[in-house]
Amino acid sequence: MPAAEERRLPMSPTLVVALAWLVPGLGHLLLHRRQRAAVFALVVVASFVVGILCQGELILPKQGDPLSFVATVATLGNGILFFIAKLLGLGDGVSTAVTYEYGNAFLLTAGVMNLLLMLDAYDIAVGKKDW
Amino acid sequence: MADHFTLMALHALLLATFFSFLWKRDKAERRRYLIKVFLILLLGAVAVGWLMYPFPRPS
Repeated sequence: MPAAEERRLPMSPTLVVALAWLVPGLGHLLLHRRQRAAVFALVVVASFVVGILCQGELILPKQGDPLSFVATVATLGNGILFFIAKLLGLGDGVSTAVTYEYGNAFLLTAGVMNLLLMLDAYDIAVGKKDW
Repeated sequence: MADHFTLMALHALLLATFFSFLWKRDKAERRRYLIKVFLILLLGAVAVGWLMYPFPRPS
């Protein structure tokens, strides 16, 4: 298969970004960046799993806590990982646990990393980044 | 899993790996960047911890 054909965009940039949000690394995989896709998926999933194991909380909006709205954006950035965790009854957080704050940091970081991956996938999909 | 330093080091490693693959293309440059970011995060956190030492949280 010629390189140009292999690199051809399989779908619209919007769909690539949406899928990149849903599954960490999928956007890069669809854009034929296999190595980077694997590393990104590993890093985001590892961060999310450690966050859950540390009894961190998947923060959702709380009344009287404006920062929780910002944290919600990061939490939802985890895509399908968020929904799987909620489905399994995980991510409620144990605020008395010694690792609670670490867990939150890992969970929020995973979400923000995935949001950055969406932007990177978009740049690649529209040709602003060629690697 | 409760060891704070281990968790901090793991967090720094994950972030350094992520940003080195996000921003650097060349393999050698990526490796240098990963080590640099990892050390800055780790040593920076220890340094900030020491700076905060004279100002304990009021009980």
